[in-house]
Amino acid sequence: MSARFQRRGDGVLVSLETAEVELLRSVPAELQTVLAGSSAKDDPVYNRLFPSAYLDPTEENAEQEWQELVHPELLRERLAALELVATTLDRAVTKRGRAELELEPDEVQAWLGVLNDARLALGTRLGVTEQAEAEEIDPAAPDAAAHALYAWLTWLQNDLIETLLG
Amino acid sequence: MSTAPLEVEQPEVEEAIETDRPWIVIVWNDPVNLMSYVVYVFQKLFGYSREKATRLMLQVHHDGKAAVSEGTREKAEADVARLHAHGLWATLEHPS
Repeated sequence: MSARFQRRGDGVLVSLETAEVELLRSVPAELQTVLAGSSAKDDPVYNRLFPSAYLDPTEENAEQEWQELVHPELLRERLAALELVATTLDRAVTKRGRAELELEPDEVQAWLGVLNDARLALGTRLGVTEQAEAEEIDPAAPDAAAHALYAWLTWLQNDLIETLLG
Repeated sequence: MSTAPLEVEQPEVEEAIETDRPWIVIVWNDPVNLMSYVVYVFQKLFGYSREKATRLMLQVHHDGKAAVSEGTREKAEADVARLHAHGLWATLEHPS
């Protein structure tokens, strides 16, 4: 089995099954929907992606000022990363039955961020725990497909990090 | 490089800082972020060695949290923002 990620100078050569690329294409669109729900302040997924900076309730004013300063930038960065990942996927060319593309360093960071955001969103929605991750997924469960997607994203992200950490 | 004069001065400096204790950035454990990813982010954001980043990651994993950086309120707020941008659950606090 060929490696899915290989270092190419400062960048990374990606080699995925064509079906994996198709699956990846669906990820930015779904995350965009989550990010668009800016007003849903009681959404656990949204709160996980944009947590509070202060736990101390007496710092309420500092928290609000910090959110006003930082939140638009964090949101903008996440949306930009989604767009960048979608753009890179459009460049994928099929070679020997696999989809290949080269990522520049900033594109690698966008991939890493989007994979992580997707796992945070999905993991929060599924109520993933550290223990449950290792357990078998019941294929008959209604959220079995989402669990499978989560496991695949985890695998993919871990491969990419291992490549970067060398 | 001589460090002797600095070592003599250090207790005074620390006393002076004592009255203006730094803000501390805490990273909290969560079930989603991969251990390898947390190490990667600590190295990338703070320039920590693999060893230090790994030690902090393990502290988060086992103790539920770890202090990863400190400084003025502004610096701590900026660090928290960068950690949030990378999907880590971080807060800042001022130890009393």
